[in-house]
Amino acid sequence: MGADSGSGAAPGPAVSWRKVLWERQPFPDNYVDRRFLEELRRNEGLRQYRYWAVVQEAGLVAQQISCVALFLTLWLYMEQGLLSPSTLLWTGLLCALLGYGLYQALAPRGDSDNHHRTRWSDLQSASIFLSFTFGFSPVLRTLTESVCTDTVYAMTALMLLAHLVAFPYAHPSPPGSLSLNAALFASVCLASRLPGDLHTSGGLDSSSSPSSLHTFTMLCWALLVFALWPCLLQRLRDCAPWVFGCVCVLVGVCGVGGLGSLWPGGAVLLAALLGTVTLLCPLLLIRLQSDKDNIQGPWDEAEIREDLTHFLH
Amino acid sequence: MVLKIFFPQCCNKADSGLLVGRWIPGQNSAVVLAVIHYPFIPGQVKQYIHQMRGQSGVDLTVLGSWSMPKEGQEGMESFLRDLSTIFPQGQWLQLSREMGKIGFRCHVLTRDPNGKLIQQEKELKEDGGGEKGGTKRGGGEKKGEENKVEGEEGGGEKDKVIFIHYEQRKVMLSQLHPIDNGVPDPQTESQLPQVFGTVCQSEPLFFLDKYDDGPVKMTHWQSEGREGSIIVELMKQASTPVCLLTTWMLTLWTSLCSSRILNMRPMRFISSKLSTCVQLSYRTEHLQTVCSPTRATAHNHFMRKANIFVSFFVDVSLGLLLVSWMYRENRIGKLANTLVPAADYVAKELEELLQWLMGAPAGLKMNRALDQVLGRFFLYHIHLWISYIHLMSPFVEMILWYVGLSACLGLTFALSLLSDITALLTFHIYCFYVYGARLYCMTVYGLSSLWRLFRGKKWNVLRQRVDSCSYDLDQLFIGTLLFTILLFLLPTTALYYLVFTLLRLVVVMFQGVLHLSVDFINSFPLFAMGLRLFRSYRLAEGVKFRVLCEEPGTPLHLMMDINPLKVSSVVQTYRTPTYSCYPKDSWLALCKKLFLGELIYPWRHKTTKID
Repeated sequence: MGADSGSGAAPGPAVSWRKVLWERQPFPDNYVDRRFLEELRRNEGLRQYRYWAVVQEAGLVAQQISCVALFLTLWLYMEQGLLSPSTLLWTGLLCALLGYGLYQALAPRGDSDNHHRTRWSDLQSASIFLSFTFGFSPVLRTLTESVCTDTVYAMTALMLLAHLVAFPYAHPSPPGSLSLNAALFASVCLASRLPGDLHTSGGLDSSSSPSSLHTFTMLCWALLVFALWPCLLQRLRDCAPWVFGCVCVLVGVCGVGGLGSLWPGGAVLLAALLGTVTLLCPLLLIRLQSDKDNIQGPWDEAEIREDLTHFLH
Repeated sequence: MVLKIFFPQCCNKADSGLLVGRWIPGQNSAVVLAVIHYPFIPGQVKQYIHQMRGQSGVDLTVLGSWSMPKEGQEGMESFLRDLSTIFPQGQWLQLSREMGKIGFRCHVLTRDPNGKLIQQEKELKEDGGGEKGGTKRGGGEKKGEENKVEGEEGGGEKDKVIFIHYEQRKVMLSQLHPIDNGVPDPQTESQLPQVFGTVCQSEPLFFLDKYDDGPVKMTHWQSEGREGSIIVELMKQASTPVCLLTTWMLTLWTSLCSSRILNMRPMRFISSKLSTCVQLSYRTEHLQTVCSPTRATAHNHFMRKANIFVSFFVDVSLGLLLVSWMYRENRIGKLANTLVPAADYVAKELEELLQWLMGAPAGLKMNRALDQVLGRFFLYHIHLWISYIHLMSPFVEMILWYVGLSACLGLTFALSLLSDITALLTFHIYCFYVYGARLYCMTVYGLSSLWRLFRGKKWNVLRQRVDSCSYDLDQLFIGTLLFTILLFLLPTTALYYLVFTLLRLVVVMFQGVLHLSVDFINSFPLFAMGLRLFRSYRLAEGVKFRVLCEEPGTPLHLMMDINPLKVSSVVQTYRTPTYSCYPKDSWLALCKKLFLGELIYPWRHKTTKID
């Protein structure tokens, strides 16, 4: 539709058409003049991506996938009885202490008062976690007794997928509710499927209900991997970005390696997936930018920028 | 304008005389009530009419003259016309009839502004639009108006006269529906209620019969002799002291019931739950209405009293019948002896049910630990309950014997007693239902709240909506744990809830049936129904007309028959308002409550309406 191409007779008028609503003009209602679509803007907010920057950001996604794979590896080890729960528990606690020390060391130089208070609340949170987990373990271990194993595995897979999808990759530190809850749900489902310990819970029932220690260990590791590790990661990213990249690579390698020790085929698949996510997808993104075709104009909805601070004065 | 004259059938063969009745204002119609015969003294007639006007409140006047000459008598038209000067009216009707002929003739004399009388031609027109033979139904609409018999075809000054015959006794006794409770404005009220009202209120006019030595001799429906019956008179005489005695006893009883001892909170609570006590208070109120010494003036009050009395009478007689049947051959003892074994049987069945639930019921997968806990808890309850029943068993027969005597007060009491006994015997089912429902309700609410936490949202109580919320780490952690636990425990609690709700619903249905039948006996208007069946003219919905005589040269004669009220309208109009048991929620609301685990009390009692 070019200029002066209103459908219907456009009287060659003495008056020129004005774009107003309240005045009767001798033009038909759907008349447009040659200034039509003058204000059209194409691909306004187009960003120029650089390959390696995108790869770096995609590293976080790969890192999270590897975390999930690591967690599953730990579960597989416990299920096949290759690792005892007590070993794992002490390892976990040690890692937690190390991670906490690192976290505090990397903290921005604030006042020590803040640190003091935070340490006390951290201690409180930790004790709440531990006591609740320990208290609920006996309940949790027989929770999915009557549910069929396939259902449990399906639920776990679904929940882990939800965790990956809903993870706040931009800012992992306050953990997203849905992602964390899905991960914890999946870990509870998995924890109730661990094989039992024969000399714990009275040997009357010969069914394979896991002991409380298994469940407790599983949940502690779930908490570490899904709730506390992202906070440390955020700190690392803020303070030392080049370390962050190395850490992502390290985690990826550990994941592939861990899975490979039990299931080589899975390791190959995981490596392929990581490679795709890290290297292939950014390439696709940049390639497809050229096909972008957005139009903006004055017909768009008004956006309010959240800068209302001038109202404060 | 069409002039309508309502003429009583009893006066069709009356001797010549004066017509007494009433002009209906604004409608150009007249109601003839009686005929006063010769010989009369005009002064006495006027005095009598004045007296009757005062007694009845109806605007009685002399409407005109009636002439039916016997054989051998000559016509008295001129004499009758002169009479019009004695009784000054706006319009003077001169009706005449000849022996052997069916139709009447009518002359209307109007007084023109000068005071002279002009005669108007009347008889010549055939009937116009309106009726062409057959019957016509009138009434049934809002005002019960008869069909207007208009239909003039040109010729303005030639008016038509229509005679509408009515049976005086029936119209006097009948009541037109729908009943107007207020005082109707005589100008705007429609014709039919005015006609009925006139005849009904002119009862004092019909007291003198032909055997009385009164100042005038009249013909009306009762002139052959007043009806009366010894029994009715005796009952009327006896009713006043009986009513006074009953009222005094009832006052004693109500004051006893409202004494302080019986009005403490626990007693009041219990008595509001037991349907026998409710029924007792309700019947007391009824008796108070019936036995009040004042006469019922309005038709509504009279019908209400009669209905209550008849239903009470039927109820008590049925109750006495039941009592006599039950106490013969010591059936009540046998009943008492089967109560405790029945309770035992119910408990045993419940135990078996619980054992089934504790296993794998219907192949469903239950959480074993919770299953065992709940099952053992309920089993212990049943054990307690059975011990209690066995403790009471020696006294059951005696209690039942004495309590069963109260069925003498009526069948409704027996049914209420049965309902109460059922409630007491199934109290443990009610308890189980409450436990199960509360547990389920908590589970459902917890789950819904934690599901919101799962998604990172929160319920905003102020705005009554769901908002997003950023939770702390420990809140998220504990919330997820609890959510998982509740989710996997849900099937178990849901199953227990379902089973006990079904049991409870069965009991509630049974009680509901009993309550509905009690309600039916309480509220069904037996007297009105009997009246409708045997004296259908007393409850009128409207009228219908049929043509009696349609000869050319004479005015149209119609017969007005009363259209009785439909049976469904009888029940609807005269139903005694009760504390009726009606379902409190619609089906949808009930289902929603069941789903959420809220406690349901499907039957709610309305308080008695005071009319």
